[in-house]
Amino acid sequence: MLWVCITLPHLALDGVLRRRSDDVPLVLVDGPANARCVVAANASAQDAGLYVGQRLTAAQALLAQFEAMPYDAAEADRWQRFLAGVAYRYSSQVALLPQAIVLEISRSRSLLGEWQTIERSLRSDLSALGFRHDIAAAPTPHAAQVLASIKDGQAVLTREVMQRALEAVPLVKSHLPEHAVDALSRMGIRRLGQLLCMPRDGLQRRFGAELLQTIDRLLGDAPAGLELYVPPDAVDWRIELSHEVENIAALVFPIKRMTSDLAAYLSGRDGGVQRFALQLEHRGGKATEVPVGMLLPERDANVLFEATRGRLEQVQLPAPVLSLRLMANDLPGFVPAGRDLFDERPANALPFEQLRERLRARLGDRAVYRWGATIDPRPEHSQCTTILDDNFIEPRTRPTWLLPKPIPLRGMLRILAGPERIETGWWDGDAVRRDYYIVETEQGQRAWVYCAPDEQCGWMLHGWFA
Amino acid sequence: MTDYAELHCLSDFSFQRGASSARELFERATDCGYTALAITDECSLAGIVRAWEASRDTKMPLIVGTEIQFADGPRLVLLAESKQGYVSLCQLITRGRRGSEKGEYRLTRADIADGAPGTLVLWIPEREPNHEHGAWVKHTFGNRSWLAVELHRDCDDAARFTELEALGEALQLPRVASGDVHMHMRRCLPLQHTMTAIRHHMTIAEAGSVLFRNGERHLRRRSVLEKIYPKALLEESVRIAKRCTFNLKKDLQYQYPKELVPEGYTPMQWLRHLVAEGSAWRWPQGVPALHQATIEHELQLIERKKYAAFFLTVHDIVRYARSQHILCQGRGSAANSIVCFTLGVTDADPEKVTLLAERFISVERDEPPDIDVDFEHERREDVIQYVYRKYGRERAAIAATVISYRSKSAVRDVAKALGLPEDQIDKLGRCFFRLGDASLPDRLREQGFDPDVPVMRRLLALTKQLLGKPRHLSQHVGGFVIHDAPLHELVPVENATMPDRTIIQWDKDDLDTMGLLKVDCLALGMLTCLRKCFDLVKTYRDKALSIATIEPNDKATYAMIQRAETIGVFQIESRAQMAMLPRLKPASYYDLVIQIAIVRPGPIQGDMVHPYLRRRSGEEPVAYPSKELEPVLERTKGVPLFQEQVMKLAMVAAGYTAGDADELRRAMGAWKRYGDMEKHHEKLVTGMLARGYTQEFAEQIFNQIKGFGSYGFPESHAASFANIAYASSWLKCHEPAMFACALLNAQPMGFYGPSQIVQDAQRHGIGVRPMDVRYSDWDCTLEPDARSKKGFALRLGLRQLRGCSEKVAQRISAARKLGPFRDVVDLCTRAELDSRHQDLLADAGALRGLAGHRHRALWLTSGVESQLPLFGRTSPNEQDIVLPLPTIVENMTADYAHSGLSLGPHPLKLLRSRLRADRYLDSRSLQKLPHATQVRTVGLVTQRQQPQTASGVTFITIEDEFGHVNVVVWNHIAQTQRRPYLEARLLAIEGRWEAVDGVSHLIARRLRDLSSMLADLDARSRDFH
Repeated sequence: MLWVCITLPHLALDGVLRRRSDDVPLVLVDGPANARCVVAANASAQDAGLYVGQRLTAAQALLAQFEAMPYDAAEADRWQRFLAGVAYRYSSQVALLPQAIVLEISRSRSLLGEWQTIERSLRSDLSALGFRHDIAAAPTPHAAQVLASIKDGQAVLTREVMQRALEAVPLVKSHLPEHAVDALSRMGIRRLGQLLCMPRDGLQRRFGAELLQTIDRLLGDAPAGLELYVPPDAVDWRIELSHEVENIAALVFPIKRMTSDLAAYLSGRDGGVQRFALQLEHRGGKATEVPVGMLLPERDANVLFEATRGRLEQVQLPAPVLSLRLMANDLPGFVPAGRDLFDERPANALPFEQLRERLRARLGDRAVYRWGATIDPRPEHSQCTTILDDNFIEPRTRPTWLLPKPIPLRGMLRILAGPERIETGWWDGDAVRRDYYIVETEQGQRAWVYCAPDEQCGWMLHGWFA
Repeated sequence: MTDYAELHCLSDFSFQRGASSARELFERATDCGYTALAITDECSLAGIVRAWEASRDTKMPLIVGTEIQFADGPRLVLLAESKQGYVSLCQLITRGRRGSEKGEYRLTRADIADGAPGTLVLWIPEREPNHEHGAWVKHTFGNRSWLAVELHRDCDDAARFTELEALGEALQLPRVASGDVHMHMRRCLPLQHTMTAIRHHMTIAEAGSVLFRNGERHLRRRSVLEKIYPKALLEESVRIAKRCTFNLKKDLQYQYPKELVPEGYTPMQWLRHLVAEGSAWRWPQGVPALHQATIEHELQLIERKKYAAFFLTVHDIVRYARSQHILCQGRGSAANSIVCFTLGVTDADPEKVTLLAERFISVERDEPPDIDVDFEHERREDVIQYVYRKYGRERAAIAATVISYRSKSAVRDVAKALGLPEDQIDKLGRCFFRLGDASLPDRLREQGFDPDVPVMRRLLALTKQLLGKPRHLSQHVGGFVIHDAPLHELVPVENATMPDRTIIQWDKDDLDTMGLLKVDCLALGMLTCLRKCFDLVKTYRDKALSIATIEPNDKATYAMIQRAETIGVFQIESRAQMAMLPRLKPASYYDLVIQIAIVRPGPIQGDMVHPYLRRRSGEEPVAYPSKELEPVLERTKGVPLFQEQVMKLAMVAAGYTAGDADELRRAMGAWKRYGDMEKHHEKLVTGMLARGYTQEFAEQIFNQIKGFGSYGFPESHAASFANIAYASSWLKCHEPAMFACALLNAQPMGFYGPSQIVQDAQRHGIGVRPMDVRYSDWDCTLEPDARSKKGFALRLGLRQLRGCSEKVAQRISAARKLGPFRDVVDLCTRAELDSRHQDLLADAGALRGLAGHRHRALWLTSGVESQLPLFGRTSPNEQDIVLPLPTIVENMTADYAHSGLSLGPHPLKLLRSRLRADRYLDSRSLQKLPHATQVRTVGLVTQRQQPQTASGVTFITIEDEFGHVNVVVWNHIAQTQRRPYLEARLLAIEGRWEAVDGVSHLIARRLRDLSSMLADLDARSRDFH
């Protein structure tokens, strides 16, 4: 058995950086709001003195301008699984460890060449995808993991050499249970070698069977007990752009990333794709969908990219793009689910949602919207096209038709009710101070008008009652 | 024009609802020619005394009232028609508040089933009036009830009026006009909106549905009201106002508790009796004639001012404390009287007191007697519970403190209301220390804000308006109000945050105004330390000491003080105090009084310190601004240092009356009345110029008064503090081990932590022994040791071990008494240690006698089986294993982690040879250098200020094996060398050594981070083993 371990020390940060082309200082932060800490920092942030474990406030004291993004554990997980898919190309025995991927290559060696060849190939794959990594090989997966974090590129091929290499490893890097490492360090035990000399019964009583079991796995005295990675049957990837993108050209770089990721993934599982969909996501949960279809299954990065670009050129962006999503359900190896020939559907009854969506599809997104009231006391701001929230809104007499802009109203008016004095809105520089009245015009129409406080002249028409 | 009285008006004591202060409201009401103004804060009378003061000053009659929203029904405004009505209000508010969480209330109709006799009631109908509510109001209050017609141009006033008229007719409720006033002027609307949004925890933009839609809820001019309301409704308001004859000040009578006086005595007779008893106790050989005369003089004064019961109350509390061996001492003007000495309220030496007493009590100054009593901080709760027990919760409660908006809280709340994001709110908070500071725009720009954009302008304007507004009520630190009758007949009582604490709705200024006396029961850590130290002296020297009997004027003690060896000593231990000691060289009790008062913002901002020092050292002649001021300033060599002197000075030099001076004192003491100070500026300066003083002197005095505004320090308090400072100095000088021991056992308190106390003791030749389960108790203890100074070494107690529980420590002591521990298993079994404590003790090195070094101790304790307590915890015979010895640095790191102090060698000692090779000096060598030498030194950073201001200096304190060095870092150095400044644990500094008058510091020019040397040290020392 020969296990390769790829450790990904900057997994989350690399996942963020690979979709950016600039080099501004950037850190990932995590922790409770009042004690945010830096959990990762890119090179230019490190040059400025920011480091992992630093309090965000301390970092702000040190550097005036840098970008701080929240650390997203779920996203880091997704990247890890994605890379496991890439590694799948080299071995059918792939497993995930914290911040690391291990794969067994003794069976693939004959196929793919010697260890050095495999290592080179792995490294070039990972570097092309933009992930920093350390690689080591050892007869057990856990030993490979430990050695990778000690010295990149280390390969020990026999158990004897492995034992010697492990003895020199500091306990804190041994990936043994944390509570035991902690307690043992406080007893002066600093290296694995020292630990291996200690009596097993004494250790078991103090630290339980878990410690001994982990040591045994490390040394290969017990089975590794790994759960093997199974590649998913569908792709659904999303990347957030660092800023709003308004023209298609600026999307080329991230899309190229995505299609080459897709290619890497497909070759990992030895398959291809015939149809996939790219969604350009806008503010407010809207998205522009770009379906991409090819005549035959493909998995070449360039072909995928060109096919996508071809579709993209026909697209008019309705709004700036915030994020991209790539979905592919139709991966070879699976027979596409056939449509039922006799599709039964009620003839004329179309549910409202479907009708609405159909109308939107025909007339455009902006042509169909919903009308709602807001809590803003100013008439100009009192209506909107979507409902903001369900705050209690006091019922008041308001015209059915509110003019988009008030206009002067001349002629004799009969006051029916009022004044309703509205003086508010100072907070956003759009203050109003008016007395509103309900009046009847000479033509007998009921109108909603206003004037300056206490004036009762210089009327402005603001709406009509039905 | 028709007369009008506003009967429904909220002040800013309806927190986050009312936008205007009572004073603003009363001034506006006067301006509008109202007949009267009711203040009807929501279920609260917290602002009523201020309203009364405003009413007194504007001569606009005040009607006392409250607005209440019943949980199951209508919103009412209740007005106190008579004293009986006032008591009804107090009771109702108390009931509503006591039954709820702090800051909230809950009342139902059942709570007012008695109809609140003596009140007049306005029903405030909702938008859709509920007839049933109205019928209930009519039924419950009969002809004491009205329907309030409140028209605010909300929709259609005419229609609303017609609707309410019909409703009133139907219910047979008379109508009256009222305003639901939330602000004094329309222009306060943005502030009112902001407060509303803050109250609802929303941004203003989100709060649309709860904001008032217009600014009509202000005190409207009568000409405007006439257009809105029919004459009859306005006239009705005046009729109601005329019926409310209750006067807050005249009709309320505060009564001292009577139970302290036995049958057959008047309070004064009983006080005389107690004073006579106390005199015999203090002077067994008979009272010296001089004192006898003073006592008589003071007693007459007390009689005339009717303060006997107050002195009796204080005496009773102090008597209780003494009976429980709780050390206490009074301070404040009245506390320094001989009467208080005989009553045992203070231990101040009467010889010294006679010097001062005459100045502290005087007939002319009409201020209530001021006695604060300090108790041992660990046992003050006993005293508080005694007071509650003795008088009952009905009759005793703690005074409130009004928490007002400070610039930081104001800007945060306003920024939140304006919808600024959280990180910007934090940044803004950092820009605001003081508003009105000219550098504010610069600081804002520094943080990346543009002060000229509209949103920032709005923010600044609103912050300014919100500043100083009351925010909520909190609990006073210890001021008790005790009443002969239930307190809630006098003032509403509500819950404090602490369980089992109740507070009244008035703060200490309100109490002053209303003539209510409070007794301050405060907590003072140093008293705990002194009592523990006296106990040690009693045990080990068989000598009974007390503050009163410590030998006065001890030369050795003063010599130590003059050398600034005052770590741990009361008051004169801070960095600033220590810097002053070698200059002022206190040599007598009164010097200490001055020392304590002089290192304060008042004298410093008033630029009084240097003139005083120069005159004291004879560099400058003692001179007085005028002949009249000589008696005022004589004892401080012509320089005003104390608050009392400033007041007296205002009277003598600027023609202030006693009343003016008292107002000045209040203005000085209370930040919230900061705005009032400018008024005094003109009055004071003109007064002084008219009497022939120079403009410069007048400005100087005014500056000092302003300085006192933040931290006033009166001579009467300094005098009591000086007693404690002297007693603690004496103990430190003559019983250093006992003092250090007591100090550690009284932690946390004071300026220095255990590490600095222990290092200080070691430097003074006291042996300090580590925590050890074979010897240590919970507290630190003393062990005879001939090599240690004065024959005792200090044994650290397990209280120094972080995370160790007192119960466990006591189990260890108890088990040890039955026999020494054989081994770790024996210890763990007999003291019933859980695994956490086993680990803790082992890692802290406290098992050294049973298990050897820490590594071995940890191995052994972690092997003790804890699952089978029934069968003992014997571990199976294990083979002995060899573990590496801990290194010096490992030991040090563990020491600091577990107790914050280490008895091992200082890390700098280990690095010294390398540092010396690099020409770094240690702190001891620095002290010998002349002024203005260029030097380099290294130390562990123990204190570091965040760089904040655009100009000025910040301070770093570094420590090496010999002591501390204060480093002054100019801002440009801190800015350009930010990383070492902010990050270094071990810091090297190049700069200029300054030493003047025994005060020394290092002005930094270059900073270097040497923290890596600490890591090297760790690695290197490990390699040895």
